[in-house]
Amino acid sequence: MTSMDPGFFKPFVEGTIKVLKVQCKVDVILGKPFLKGETPQPNFQIAGVIGLTSDTFTGTLTLSFEESSFLEIMGNMLGEKFETLTPDLQDGAGELLNMIFGHAKRVHNDLGNNIRMALPTVFVGSNLGTRTVGGEKVMVIPFKTDRGEFHIEINQK
Amino acid sequence: MFDPKTRILVVDDMMTMRKLVMKNCKDLGFSDFTEAANGALAWEAIAAANPPFGLIISDWNMPNTSGLDLLKRVRSDSRFGKLPFIMVTAETDKAQIIQAIQSGVTDYVVKPFTAEALRDKIQSAYNKTAGKKAA
Repeated sequence: MTSMDPGFFKPFVEGTIKVLKVQCKVDVILGKPFLKGETPQPNFQIAGVIGLTSDTFTGTLTLSFEESSFLEIMGNMLGEKFETLTPDLQDGAGELLNMIFGHAKRVHNDLGNNIRMALPTVFVGSNLGTRTVGGEKVMVIPFKTDRGEFHIEINQK
Repeated sequence: MFDPKTRILVVDDMMTMRKLVMKNCKDLGFSDFTEAANGALAWEAIAAANPPFGLIISDWNMPNTSGLDLLKRVRSDSRFGKLPFIMVTAETDKAQIIQAIQSGVTDYVVKPFTAEALRDKIQSAYNKTAGKKAA
């Protein structure tokens, strides 16, 4: 199974919707998945990355936000209104990613994939972009909120 | 339920999660919080606390000293044998939950969680440990 297979990326999509709904009280709209490079991506300002390591594959899971959507999501989660992306807030991207990863990890491990525990890393900047060095395909799954977009990206080899 | 004056130690390497846990606990009436960003700092706080903490709410997956490492250290000290310890984790692997139970966790909360779920776990932890301050 590769990252292009629905059976592979579906647990990540389910996890994203569940985490945003339960932890952040945000309803998200799932967009149409596409391969990275096929469609121009929004200007993201914050991203979290976590490694996918198992007995049978390696890869990464990336969660990238427009600043406005991230501030809305954090505001809903913490019951405050945030206007700017402060250092205190930034690790929230890693925590959301950690929860999505945890959900998908459980589903995949029930299938025998044995994904191992990992810690996320958060990046902040203007017009963040990610690329892979091995030329492998990257599945991009877009989501929309009232205040902007965020994406998850999955690559696996 | 725990006395609202109960001292609570919130352990997580992610500040946003510490804030979330404290917000949910504040909504339950608690107000005395200490934060620690990893298990090693948490242990220092536990060992030095006077008056002692009445409840620990700790993340599992942290760099260096994990929540499980902290739990084992706490339980290895007879002063803290029955200190209520709730683990917060994104992990739901049965083997890991069994490991936490065998290591003496009082209860655990799986992320993502609602305020109601955390409240129920705090109540459960109280029911399991009320009146048992030491091993």
